Amino acid sequence: MTGISDHEDAEALRQRELLARLAAARADAAASPGLRAYRANAHASAERALGTACPTLRVLLGAEDFAQLAREFWHADPPLRGDLGEWGDALPEWIAAHAGLAEWPYLADCARLDLALHHCERAADAVFDAASLALLSSTDPARLQLRLMPGVQALRSRWPLASLHAAHAGRDESLFDVARDRLQQGQGEAVVVARDGWRGVVHRIAAPDLAFMQALACGADLARALDAAGDGFDFAAWLADALRCRWLKEVALVGD
Amino acid sequence: MQAGTPDMALTGIGLRQPHYREVLEGRPALGFVEVHSENFFADGGAALAVLDTARELYPVSLHGVGLALGSAAGLDPWHLDRLALLAQRVQPVRVSDHASFARAPAAAGGTVLHANDLLPIAFTTASLDIMVRNVTQVQERLRRSILVENLAAYLAFDDGGQMGEADFLVALCRRSGCRLLLDVNNLMVNALNAHAADPLAACCDFIDAVPPGIVGEIHLAGYCEHSDFGIVIDDHGSRVRGLVWAAYSHALRRFGPLPTLIEWDTGLPALAVLLGEAHSAARLQAEA
Repeated sequence: MTGISDHEDAEALRQRELLARLAAARADAAASPGLRAYRANAHASAERALGTACPTLRVLLGAEDFAQLAREFWHADPPLRGDLGEWGDALPEWIAAHAGLAEWPYLADCARLDLALHHCERAADAVFDAASLALLSSTDPARLQLRLMPGVQALRSRWPLASLHAAHAGRDESLFDVARDRLQQGQGEAVVVARDGWRGVVHRIAAPDLAFMQALACGADLARALDAAGDGFDFAAWLADALRCRWLKEVALVGD
Repeated sequence: MQAGTPDMALTGIGLRQPHYREVLEGRPALGFVEVHSENFFADGGAALAVLDTARELYPVSLHGVGLALGSAAGLDPWHLDRLALLAQRVQPVRVSDHASFARAPAAAGGTVLHANDLLPIAFTTASLDIMVRNVTQVQERLRRSILVENLAAYLAFDDGGQMGEADFLVALCRRSGCRLLLDVNNLMVNALNAHAADPLAACCDFIDAVPPGIVGEIHLAGYCEHSDFGIVIDDHGSRVRGLVWAAYSHALRRFGPLPTLIEWDTGLPALAVLLGEAHSAARLQAEA
């Protein structure tokens, strides 16, 4: 090893030690004012980034508890990239395993929905190819794929996910009663996340629609996706919803 | 030119979300707008659409906070890819980042984390080698020269063997071909935290150590005295202080008029306040 490399190793060690002190869950009692300032910066970044990505979770928890959660999560799963818009995907699993949050078992799925909306709003912009619909009447379904818009995602929860989201995203107090009733009844819900203009929105869907869309998302051809959806699935109704809500990007030949 | 309406050709503001609509609809006279590159790394969405519109109205400068040019662990290829894509889309008038590190494993051989902060580097020859290598990698990828900003640092390394910050940055510019983004507020924050007997003189000494021709842009911002930590923080949350204006005037006398940005990132004021600060900068340029 050359002398220069030895010196660079020393810098690498210096940087590793500083970053380790910042990433440590417990603050260093002997930390200098500067180190405390950097920790405070990190915590502010965590609160801001997760607050942007998970607004419903923030309302559910309240600002103070959410800030505490964001700080804890920063140390539990620190960012790997320099764009904090990309940080937070491990949050739902982390919440699900958090003993202090066990009393609210639906929080993890609420975080999952928030993150799906966040990613949907950052997804590539795309235009629906209306002409491609003609393939539906001319081609064997086994040779077709229905491709969803970037960011469109179908989710299922054992909790009333859409109702919880609607209650905490708006100002209609009656929606809280709806969400509370469905929680008490243990009523799960399936949803699709899609973009309406620039904003991510939540659409509640039925179980066969969920199975169909999850099959599409996995790359299944139309015939297989219809099989996955089962007998209760109404393709014509789904297609009408998909066109109205901008779920569908195009119909394409398999392999194209 | 009317009295009170300075030539704004060299003066810009940081374009931040609360001001998007007012700037894009009102189109105030500005030489450029600057955005944080990482805020536009998404594949699509509203922010990128706003940036596309801004690009039609103003030259755009891409100012990064996450390349982590001083990281011994090297650059994140993903980050460089996203920046290259954005630069291709925006065709920015300038691309810049900081003389800082952020990427390192928390333990030897561990996953490389990103601190998402501008962490200080030691001004050693080894740090210089690392920065030259990383800056060169960015410039080769972007096929253009970038600017590197001096840091407001809240930690200092006192293990000896270090060169002065100005000498370090000048050497970086000479070896890599990058230019210096001189943040005058950062100079003042460092001077105040070092308890310099004459903070303005300390800033002017730094400026005098930088040869004309190396500086490609100047940043101005406000700072705050943080009572909890007992140090001065470069928070970009208030008007430019009088001492910083004085140091800026000194820089203009030495370097001549240069593109100058008013940065304001926390507690954003009304756009008129921000533009007023930009007008003040432009007037000082005219006097230089």
